Amino acid sequence: MGKEVDMKDAPADEKAKEAEKQPVAVPEPAKPLAVLRSNLRLINNAVAQKETRTLFGRVLRQTAAVRNRLSARDVQAFLTSSLPASSSVAQQLLGALKQLADSAMDADGAAANGVAAEERDADAAAVSPPAAPLPEVEVYCYLLTIMLLIDGKQYEQAQAAAAAALAHLASFNRRTLDVLAARIYGYLSLAHERTGSLASIRSALLGLHRTAVLRHDDVGAETLLNLLLRNYLADNLYDQAERLRAKAQRPDTSRSMQQACRYLYYLGRIRAVQQEYSEAKDCLQQAARKAPTSANGFRVCVQKWLVLVRLLLGEVPDRTEFTAPDLAPHLVPYFNLTQAVRGGDLAAFSAVASAHESVFRCDRTHNLIVRLRHNVIRAGLRRTSLAYSRISLADVAAKLGLSSVTDTESIVAKAIRDGGIEGLIRHEEGTLEAARPTDMYATSEPQAAFHARIAFCMDVHNEAVKAMRYGAGGGAVKEFEDATALRERQEEELLAALEEMEEDD
Amino acid sequence: MAGPTSAAHVLALLDEDEDSLKLYALQQLDRSVHDFWFQISSSIAAIEALYEDEEFSHRELAALVASKVFYHLGDLDDALSYALGAGSLFDVASTSEYVQTILARCIDTYVGQRVQQAEGGEASLDPRLVAIVERLFERCYTDGQYEQAVGIALESRRLDQLERAVSSSQEPERTLKYALGVSQKLVVSREFRNQVLRLVVRLYEAVPQPDHAAICQCLMFLDDADEVATILFRLLGGSDDEALMAYQIAFDLVDAELQAFMIKVTTKLDALAPKPAAAPAAPAAPVEGVEGMDTDQAAPAEGAPAAPAEPAAPAAIAEADLSPFEKRLALFKSVLSGVVSIELERQFLARHNHADLQILKNIRATVEPRNSVCHSATVFANSLMHCGTTVDAFLRENLDWLKKATNWAKFSATAGLGVIHRGNVGKSRTIMAPYLPSAPGGSTPSAYSEGGALYALGLIHTSHGAGVRQLLLESLRGSQHEVIQHGACLGLGIAALGTEDEEAFEDVKNVLYMDNAVAGEAAGLSLGLLYAGSGTDKAAELLAYAHETQHEKIIRGVAVGLALVHYGREEAAEGMIEQMTRELDPILRYGGMFVTGLAYCGTSNNAAIQRLLHFAVSDVANDVRRAAVLNLGFVLASSPEQCPKIVSLLAESYNPHVRYGAAMAVGMACAGTGMREAVALLEPLIKDSVDFVQQGALIAMALVLVAQPEARAKPLRDHINRLYGSKTSEVMTRMGAVMAAGILDAGGRNVTLGLRAGSGHFRRTAVIGLALFTQYWYWYPLSYCISMAVQPCALIGVDASLRAPKGFQVVSDCRPSQFAYAPPVKVEDKKDKLKLPTAVLSTTARAKARAAKKKGKDAAGGGGGGDKDAAAATGTAEAMDTDKPEAADKEAAEGTTAAGEGEAAAAVEGDGKKKEKAVEEPSSYTVDNPARVAPSQRKYISFPSGQRFQPIRAAPSGFVLLKDTQPEAGEVDYLFEEEKPAAASAAAAPAAADGATAAPAAGGAAAASPAGDEPPPPEPFEYIPS
Repeated sequence: MGKEVDMKDAPADEKAKEAEKQPVAVPEPAKPLAVLRSNLRLINNAVAQKETRTLFGRVLRQTAAVRNRLSARDVQAFLTSSLPASSSVAQQLLGALKQLADSAMDADGAAANGVAAEERDADAAAVSPPAAPLPEVEVYCYLLTIMLLIDGKQYEQAQAAAAAALAHLASFNRRTLDVLAARIYGYLSLAHERTGSLASIRSALLGLHRTAVLRHDDVGAETLLNLLLRNYLADNLYDQAERLRAKAQRPDTSRSMQQACRYLYYLGRIRAVQQEYSEAKDCLQQAARKAPTSANGFRVCVQKWLVLVRLLLGEVPDRTEFTAPDLAPHLVPYFNLTQAVRGGDLAAFSAVASAHESVFRCDRTHNLIVRLRHNVIRAGLRRTSLAYSRISLADVAAKLGLSSVTDTESIVAKAIRDGGIEGLIRHEEGTLEAARPTDMYATSEPQAAFHARIAFCMDVHNEAVKAMRYGAGGGAVKEFEDATALRERQEEELLAALEEMEEDD
Repeated sequence: MAGPTSAAHVLALLDEDEDSLKLYALQQLDRSVHDFWFQISSSIAAIEALYEDEEFSHRELAALVASKVFYHLGDLDDALSYALGAGSLFDVASTSEYVQTILARCIDTYVGQRVQQAEGGEASLDPRLVAIVERLFERCYTDGQYEQAVGIALESRRLDQLERAVSSSQEPERTLKYALGVSQKLVVSREFRNQVLRLVVRLYEAVPQPDHAAICQCLMFLDDADEVATILFRLLGGSDDEALMAYQIAFDLVDAELQAFMIKVTTKLDALAPKPAAAPAAPAAPVEGVEGMDTDQAAPAEGAPAAPAEPAAPAAIAEADLSPFEKRLALFKSVLSGVVSIELERQFLARHNHADLQILKNIRATVEPRNSVCHSATVFANSLMHCGTTVDAFLRENLDWLKKATNWAKFSATAGLGVIHRGNVGKSRTIMAPYLPSAPGGSTPSAYSEGGALYALGLIHTSHGAGVRQLLLESLRGSQHEVIQHGACLGLGIAALGTEDEEAFEDVKNVLYMDNAVAGEAAGLSLGLLYAGSGTDKAAELLAYAHETQHEKIIRGVAVGLALVHYGREEAAEGMIEQMTRELDPILRYGGMFVTGLAYCGTSNNAAIQRLLHFAVSDVANDVRRAAVLNLGFVLASSPEQCPKIVSLLAESYNPHVRYGAAMAVGMACAGTGMREAVALLEPLIKDSVDFVQQGALIAMALVLVAQPEARAKPLRDHINRLYGSKTSEVMTRMGAVMAAGILDAGGRNVTLGLRAGSGHFRRTAVIGLALFTQYWYWYPLSYCISMAVQPCALIGVDASLRAPKGFQVVSDCRPSQFAYAPPVKVEDKKDKLKLPTAVLSTTARAKARAAKKKGKDAAGGGGGGDKDAAAATGTAEAMDTDKPEAADKEAAEGTTAAGEGEAAAAVEGDGKKKEKAVEEPSSYTVDNPARVAPSQRKYISFPSGQRFQPIRAAPSGFVLLKDTQPEAGEVDYLFEEEKPAAASAAAAPAAADGATAAPAAGGAAAASPAGDEPPPPEPFEYIPS
C-alpha cells in the first residue's frame, strides 16, 4: 500500500494534495520524521562535500515522497530537534505551525496521537540541536513549513513564511542553497497564485531573477524565469512575457527537467497566442513528451493546448489521444470540440463552444477557440469539395450553415486562394467545381515529412550527446588492475610448462 | 506614474520633440527600469541617441537608464561604459546589486588595463574609470577596509595606494603582513612583486615595532644583503630580546639555504663590526673555525683540525672572555654559517634514528646479488634510510655483499656513504679518507671509489661547501680520469651550490670542453649548480656548446644544468624557455621542460602550466612528454591540492611515459603531505601494466607518504614487501619497490621532504635536489641527490647560548600512537619469503635455494663473527666495534631496537603499546626538546605556558629561539653536552698525531655513539607519552 501512496504523490501535481494526513494504520515504509532526519544528514553531507546537485535532489525527492503523510507535529518535532530553540527562525516557524498543529490535533483522535507525540518528544530529546545550524538546514525548515502551510490551505501564513525565507536567503551567497531556494520561490509563487495576488510579487521575482543570473545560480534563474512567465501569463500579459523570455539570459543546458518542461509549455502558449502555431506545436509536443508520467495535471494542461494548436493548424488529433485513462475525464470538452471541427459542422461547433464556455474560460483557451471557427468552416469546405466534383454555392452555404450565398462565395474564393481547397468557382453558374485530388506521393510532401522526422531524431541524438558525461572512474586505468595478475599467471604457466618438460625428459 | 503592467506609453514619450517630455519619460524609466527592462531594451537605441545628443540637457540620466538596461541584459561592458557616462548620477556608495556589479566590473576593467599598461601594452585608461577607482579607495579608507584596499592596489599595481593603505591603517603591522602574504602568493609578475617587497620593507621600517623577521625575509627575496646585515647588526647591539630575534632570523635565513646570500651577509657584518673589536676576536682559535665559511683560504689551509672544532664553537665562544657584543656577534656568525643548525639536526637524527635494519636485511636476503640493479637499489635504500644519522652499521655488517658493487655501482655505493653522513661537515674528510688519495693527484685502488668519495663530500657539505671546495677543485684539476672528474664536478657543484664561483666555473668548463661524455655530463650539471638561480649570461655559451657536441650525455647534462641556472627566474627565463622548447633536438626540449618547471617552481603560473600540458600531449618524443608532465609537479608545488586534479587525465594516458610523469609530478608536488587525492591517483598506477610506471608510482607514493602516520603508510609498506621478493615482477618494478622502501623510512624515519621552509617559501637546494633525483632515469648515481631535499621533522628549542636546553617541552595535542614510529618488522617474514619460491622451482633450482637459505641464515645468525673479522681486516678499533654486532644480534632476536641509543624511547613506546590495549590512550602528551614533529602533527603542537623557557615565536617546526624567563633559577642542563668532551678529544687526537691515525678515530666517531671503553651513558632524554 505504501508503495502506491508514493507513486501517487511523487512531485508536481499540486491539485492532488487534497488528502492531508490519513491516520496510518498499516505499518508504513518509513516514519516521516525519520525521513526528515535522514534528509538532515544528507544536507550536512552535501554541504560538507560542496555538492550542489544530486544530494539535494534526493532530499527533495524524499521530502515529496512523505509529503502526504507529513503532519504538523512531525515538522514541529523536526524543527525543535534541528534548530536551537533560541534562534529566530525556529520561533517564527513554530509560531506559524502552531495553529495548523492545533487543528490537526482536533481532527485526529487525541488518544491515537498521544502515543506518537510522546514518542516524538522522546526523539526530540535524544537529539540535541546544534548551536549554529547550517543555513541550508534553516532553509530546509522554511521549506517544510511553507509546504505544510500550503497543503493546509493557510496561504496567507505561507506567504508570510516565504517572504521571511526570502529575507533570510538574501543574507547568504552560497551555491549549496540554490536548489532549496529555487523550491522556496516556487512555493512563494504558488501561495500568491492561490490568493490571486501574483502581480504583487512580480517585481520581487524580477529582482531575484537578476540576482540569480549574476551569481550563476542556474537552477534559481531557470525556476524564476518560469515563475515570471507564469506570472505574466496569469494576467494575460503575453507580450510582456515574450519580451522577457526573449531578453532574459538562459543557461545553454537546462539543469532541471521539470523546469525545462514548464518553460516549453509557457513558450508554447505564448507562441499559440501569437499565432505561430507550428512553433507552438513543437514546444508543446516536446513538453508533453518530457513531462514525467506522474505529473498528471501538467500533462492535462499541455494536452489541452496541444489539441487546440493542432486543430488551428488544420490537423485532427487521433482519437486515442483523448482516451488515455488518466487524461480522458479532463479532455472531454476538447474531444467534443475536435469532433465538431473534424465534421466541419458550424452548428455543432457553436453548441460545444457555448456548452463548455466556462471550462474554456477557466483554461484560458477561450480566445483560441474563437479563432477555431474559421478552421471549422474550412474543414467543412474541404469535406464538401472532396465529396462533390461540382456543387452549387447555395448548397455549400446550406451545408456549412452560412446564411448568405455571396459570403459563401467569398469564403470559398479565399479558401481556394490560400490553398485550403483546390477548385474553381463558376460565378455565372453559381457553382464550385472541385479539382481532382492530386497524388500526394508525387509532391514533395512526403520528403518534407521525412525531413521533419529526421531533423527531430538528429535533435534528440545531439541533445543526448551534449548531456553525456564521463564517469568518475577512469577508463584506461581499470585495465591495469588485471594486467599484473595476468602477467604473473602467464609466468607461472610458463614455469609449470618448463617443469613438465623436464619431467618428460 | 508608469502603468502597472507596461512601460509602452512612457517609451512613446521618448519620440516627442519636447525636452521636458523626454526628461519626464527618462525619470519614469529610471524608476521602473527594474520591472520593464525587457520592454525598454527594444527602445534602447532611442535612449542611446539621447545620450549622444550634445544638446540634450539630461544626457547623464539617459546614460544611467541605458546602463541599467544593459546591466539587466547581461552586457556588463556596455553597462559600465554608460555608467561612466552617467557621471555623478552613478552613485558609488549605493549598496544595490546594480551598483555593486558595475563596480566589480569597473575594478576588473581597471586592473586589466593597468596590467596591460605595465606590460608595455598600448592601453589607454579612461579618466572617469580612474576617478571611480579612486573613489572606491577613498571609501575603503573611510570604512576601515584596509585589506580590501591593499588587494585592489596590488591587483591594479598601484604602489602609491598600497603605501597609503598601510600608512592610514590603524594597525599597520597587520596590513603589512597581509600585503606581504598576498604579494607572495598572488602577484604573478616577479618584477612587480619585487617592487612591492621593496615598498613593504620601507614601510615596515617606518612602523614603531617592525617585524624584523618579515623584513629580512623580504630582503632575502630581493637579495639585499647590505640591508639585512645592517638590521641584524642593529638587533645584535640591542637588548637581549633583540639579540634572540637576530638569532631566530639567522636560523630562518639558513633554513632557506641560499649559500651565496649568507656569505654576503657575513662579509657585510664583518665590515660593519668595529675594527678594534674584530681584531681580538680573530686570534681566538674556535672563532677561526667558524669564520672558515667566508674566508675561503683559511679552512682548507688548516685542513682537518679546524673542521672538527666547529661543533664545539658555540660553547667555546660563550666561555671565552669577550665583550658581550663580540660574543653575540661571534655566536651569530656561527648560526649564519649553518654550523649550529647542521650540528643540532645531525644530533637529532643520530639519536632518534629508528631505521629498521630488519627491513634492509629482508631486502638483501631476497634480492639476488647477481642482479646489479636491485643490488644498487638496496644500497641506495640503506643510504637514504640512514641519511644524516651517521649509522653505517648495515654496510659494515655486509662488506662482502657490498663488494659485489663494481664500477659505477661502486661509485654510487661510496656516494651513499656521503648521504649517511650528510651534515657531518666536521668529520667529512676523515670519513672519506680511506677512499681518497692521501695527496691530491695521488692514486687510489679504484677511480670509481675515489670519484664516488668526491661526490660524497659534496653531498655531506650540501650548500655549505667552503670546507671542501679547495679539495674538490684540486682533485678536479689533478686528474684526467673521467670517473674522478665526474665525481669531482658533481661534488663541487653540490657543495658550492649557487655561489657563482668564477674560479670553479672556469675549471669545470675546461672539463666540459674536453668533450668527454662521462665527465662532460657531470660538468654540465655542475655548472648549473654553481650558478643556480642566477640566470647568468654564461647560459647562452653553454647552450651553444650543447649544439656543438655529439654526446647525448653532455647535451642532457647541459640542458638540465641550464634549468638549474634559471631556477625561480619566472618571466626572466622566458627567452631561454622559448628557445629551448623550439629546438629540434629532443634532449634540449627535454631540458626546456625542466627550465619551465624550475623557473616557475611553486608559482602555479597558468601560462607555464598551459605550456607544459601542451608539450605533454603534443610532443613527438616520449622523453619530452614525460618531462613535461613531471615538471607540472614543480610548478604546482605551492598548491599540492591542485596537482592530482590537473594530472588525473594524464595519469590515464595510453602513453606509459606520460603516466610515469604524472606519477612523479604528484609525488613531487605532494611530497610529504600524505594527501588522500594523491594517494588515490597513485594507487592504480602502482598496479600499472608497464614496469617503469609501477616504479615511478612506487617512488612517488613513498615521496607522498614519507613521515606520515604509520596507518597511512602501511598499505604501501605491505605492497613493497610483496614486490621486492616476487620473482614474477619485473626488475624495474622491484628496483622501484626497494627505492621506495628507502624513501619511506628516510633519515631513520625522522625526516620529510621539505620543499618549503617554515616561512612558506621554497628551499632552492631541496627543489634542485629533487630535480636532479628525477635524472636517475638516465644516470643512476644521481638518485642520491634526493638527500639534498631532506629536512628533519624536528622542533629544536635553542636558548641564547645557542644550545638546546633539556628542560624545554612542547605539548602534542593528539594520541601518542597517532604519529608513533612503525613497529619493527618480525624476523619470521624472511623465512616465509625464502620458503615460498622453493615450492615452485624445479629440483635443481630447489637445491640452489637450499644453499641460498643456508647462506642467508649464516649471514643473519652468525654475522657477529664474520663482522668481527671484517672489522679487524679494516683495522678499525675493536674495542668500539665489539658491542655493535651484539646489538645487531639482539635486534634480530627480539625484533626490537632495545639496544644502544633510543633504548628508553623504545621501552616507553613498548609500554605505550601495552597500555593501549588495557587503558584508553591519553589524548595529548608532552615531547622533550628536540621534539620529533611529523609534518601532519604540526597542527597539534602547542607550547605550555609556565615553563622556564618560552619560545619567542610559536613555530611548530624547525628552530625556535627560547627566552630564559628565570635566569636566576641556576645552571641549565643542555642536550648533547656530555658528548662534547669525547668529540673534542677525538678531534684533538688527530690534530696532535699524524694523519694516519685519523682513520680509526673516524670509524669510532662515525658510529655516533660515545667513544671509549666505558659502557654507553644513559640517554639524556626520554620519550614519555603521557
